[in-house]
Amino acid sequence: MTLAGVLLVATMALPLLLAAALGKRAVRDRALDLLVLAPFPGLAAALLVPHGSAALSPMRIVLALDPLGAALLGTASLLWLLAGAYARAQMAGDARAVRFAFWWLLTQAGSLGCFLVADIASFYLTFSLASLAAYWLVVHEGTSRASRAGFVYMALAVLGEAVLLLAFVMMAVGGDGNPLIAEAAARLPGSPHQGVVVALLVVGFGLKMGLVPLHVWMPLAHPVAPVPASAALSGIIVKAGVIGLIRFLPLDTGYLAGGTALTAIGLFTAFYAAIVGITQAKPKTVLAYSTVSQMGFVATILGSGLAVGSTTAASVTAFYALHHLLAKGALFLGYGVVAAGGARVAVLAAMVIPALALAGLPFTGGALAKYAAKEVIDPGAAGTLATLAATGSTVLMLHFLRMLREQPDTGRVAPVGLLVPWAVATVASIAIPYAVMDLLTGMTPLAALTITALWKAAWPILLGVAISASLIAFAARLPAIPEGDIVVVADGVGVHANRFGTALERADTTLRSWPAGVTALLAVALAVALTLRLPA
Amino acid sequence: MNDTAGLLVVLSVMVPAIAVMAMLARPSRAPDQIAALAWPAVTVVTVTLAWTVIGNGAPVTYAVGGWRPPLGLLLRADGLAVVTMVMVSVILGLVGLAARADPAATSGTGGQRRSLVFWAMLLALWSALNLCVLARDLFTLFVALELLTFAAVPLVALDARVETLRAALRYLLIALAGSGLYLLGVGLVYARHATLDLGLLKTVVSGDDGLAIGLMTAGLMAKTAVFPLHLWLPPAHAGAPAPASAVLSALVVKAPFLLLARIWFELGFNTVTPATHLLAGFGAASILWCSLMALRQARLKLMIAYSTVAQIGYLFLMFPLAPGDDWWAQLGWSGGLLQLTSHAFAKAAMFLAAGLVAEGLGHDRIDGLAGASRAAPLSVFTLAFAGLSLMGLPPSGGFNAKAMMLASAVGLGEWWIAVTILAGGLLAAGYVFRVIGRAIAYPDPSVQVTPIARNRELVPFALALFALALGFVPLGQFSVLAIGVAP
Repeated sequence: MTLAGVLLVATMALPLLLAAALGKRAVRDRALDLLVLAPFPGLAAALLVPHGSAALSPMRIVLALDPLGAALLGTASLLWLLAGAYARAQMAGDARAVRFAFWWLLTQAGSLGCFLVADIASFYLTFSLASLAAYWLVVHEGTSRASRAGFVYMALAVLGEAVLLLAFVMMAVGGDGNPLIAEAAARLPGSPHQGVVVALLVVGFGLKMGLVPLHVWMPLAHPVAPVPASAALSGIIVKAGVIGLIRFLPLDTGYLAGGTALTAIGLFTAFYAAIVGITQAKPKTVLAYSTVSQMGFVATILGSGLAVGSTTAASVTAFYALHHLLAKGALFLGYGVVAAGGARVAVLAAMVIPALALAGLPFTGGALAKYAAKEVIDPGAAGTLATLAATGSTVLMLHFLRMLREQPDTGRVAPVGLLVPWAVATVASIAIPYAVMDLLTGMTPLAALTITALWKAAWPILLGVAISASLIAFAARLPAIPEGDIVVVADGVGVHANRFGTALERADTTLRSWPAGVTALLAVALAVALTLRLPA
Repeated sequence: MNDTAGLLVVLSVMVPAIAVMAMLARPSRAPDQIAALAWPAVTVVTVTLAWTVIGNGAPVTYAVGGWRPPLGLLLRADGLAVVTMVMVSVILGLVGLAARADPAATSGTGGQRRSLVFWAMLLALWSALNLCVLARDLFTLFVALELLTFAAVPLVALDARVETLRAALRYLLIALAGSGLYLLGVGLVYARHATLDLGLLKTVVSGDDGLAIGLMTAGLMAKTAVFPLHLWLPPAHAGAPAPASAVLSALVVKAPFLLLARIWFELGFNTVTPATHLLAGFGAASILWCSLMALRQARLKLMIAYSTVAQIGYLFLMFPLAPGDDWWAQLGWSGGLLQLTSHAFAKAAMFLAAGLVAEGLGHDRIDGLAGASRAAPLSVFTLAFAGLSLMGLPPSGGFNAKAMMLASAVGLGEWWIAVTILAGGLLAAGYVFRVIGRAIAYPDPSVQVTPIARNRELVPFALALFALALGFVPLGQFSVLAIGVAP
């Protein structure tokens, strides 16, 4: 096997093997150390073999990297590493660390796998692994808030799995049992089911990305997890949905109706989440809504590309997602630093950068990401709205910083083990976009540094600052929208479901009584006999 | 006209029967040792037979007494038969290992009697199961089904408690009523066509035999326990000792289904008709109704039993999918039979693991499962891995099976079947996660658990790994199943 093969396989295999090794008592004592070890093959693969591929024929798994996949794999591995180091410092001595490590490693194997598998069945496998294993990161704290979040998360995740399975099966129709994703996506425009398949893909992957109205689990789930897990969930796991749309949608050939719909959903999500987000009081919930809003923007890029058929949409989306991954990771870890050490000026000042980078603050990685996105988004109405989305992000992130400032001072300084991963993530969120922009999108970072580009990036933010300043006066009058907003509609369902279940049990008891059973037996015989006489 | 390969066909039915007689002749001798001797013998026979059939690409037949139909009886090992027989060998072998490691399952009060009944009935089942897939005429098949019932009922009542006796009686009565209907149907067929051989009937049956087919179908459905005829299964499968439940749920309910499938597909009802949709409707109702019931169960074994009825429902979805020779139909047929096999391994694993968990905790209430991962950690993994197959998540045989059936349903435009398959997966995820989530939770410090010996956990785990390994079969039609199907 080539170096590429070894590294690609190890990217998924090492976390899985380490998870299995937790069965040994000696390993269990050092469970948290494994979190730091596990992401290295992924990092190495992204750096050393960005065009590598490997086929594990007996298990019909095909692994392949392209520059886009490698960039996301590399940054995701980096954040897994940083968040893992953070978890190692934060959770030292926690009795539940072993279980946390186990699900962490499984989630990691799945999420990194999503970036490098090339065939449909393996993609479904890695996507499901990431989705389902992450459940235990959500419910880790064991509080009632966590278990409610976990229930909503799991219900929607499993629904998403079902929707995607149908989409994948419909895409595989006409090929052999398990075609490569690229082949199936290329065949899609000729399929009579294109509309249905694209809709199913948007629902299935949109659930993972948190597109409104499928976002309800995210503001519940991301805040209740431990800080490093929140960073991974909000930074990395949502990108499984992004890479899914990138890989499966026929972006090159284009599909006007699907693209327009996706753009509309994306823009609506971007604004809706920003507006609901500023009514939230908990910093982590605000960050979760920010992720929803940002993924709305990602959907806008993808939709714009899909509508007209764009060869650059995939890589620009990946570039935008890459920046969000690092910035959101830095923000969640930074929240943890503040929670552990109080709202110190230096920390808060440093948090301003990744926070406003999400709005495209000039000179940050976010400015590059927004600049690249403008190359894909149609400059008309969608473009204007997309520009204004930066204003929404500014208001939302300033709200986040304000909530952060109100965190109580613990009087201690956050331990180095928390500070270092956070600081590295913050630096990476600026440096890496500069380093990979040209490679990924073919655009030079210098283009985003011209006076025109800087002004285009700055004015929506200045507008956001102005709105934010005027909102402070009204802050007390803003309505308090519960976390997960429209999810409260579902709360009433529980009672009805229970009543339905009781009725079902009663009916089953009746069915299982002798008179009903014998009647059913004869009725089945007659029904089959009669239908057999019917003409076909 | 009967060659040595034909002899293997007979041996696969006779050797377990001889072992049963040996046990009954010398009840004082340890019956598990006789079973341990019989297992390799029968397994060698079935594997050699499978090897021959698959190698030649042609079925092996044996005419009893050298007389061919219409005068004589025919036993015939086709692709479906040998695949099933190998599966039965593997599962019975592993369940037998688990039972030997579990003294409580076959001893205790009246230990010797229990032990004798368990092993004798296990081998009698084996003989009956092999005969069910080999026999080619409707009356021999009736005998095989009766043998199966009379071997299965005592397994339910092994504990001899009031509720298990009641469950066993209920099972017996329903199975006999099913047999009655089946026999009535056989009588009608014989009256019209003067033959019971499946090969000969193929050319003469028609829609006019609707009543006969309807009676036989209802009888077999009662024995398979598909909705709304599932009344006997939950108490019977939940009340039996774990190794017995494993065999009952994994294998015994599959035999009448295979016979039903043979009757429908081999007797030329291989077009999509309202009747095939009716059968699929029963399957869909099974999936939805009994998955919801599984979600509502308070006890682990009852939950698993309801899940069996739900998973059997998937098999009935084959009836409108598999008729015909096109690619989608073949995919539906292969997917359905893969579902049968994967469920057999997964469910055997689950019942055995649930037995160990219940032993470790002293109860099997789902609400009180916290601590299971301390008492029997590997068994919790077994439940989770087997659960993957029930949910239809990769990598597992259940995923491949459901993906293939889903593809077939989409390819044939049977959208309601596609939606049912997906909804069944969702509900299965619900009842599996409910158990796993509780089982891995940290227990109250007051909870006392009895640790289970690790080696006893290995057998169920191996069964679950089989179910996972089936996830690596190709996602296409299996040529082996076509052996002997073509006229």
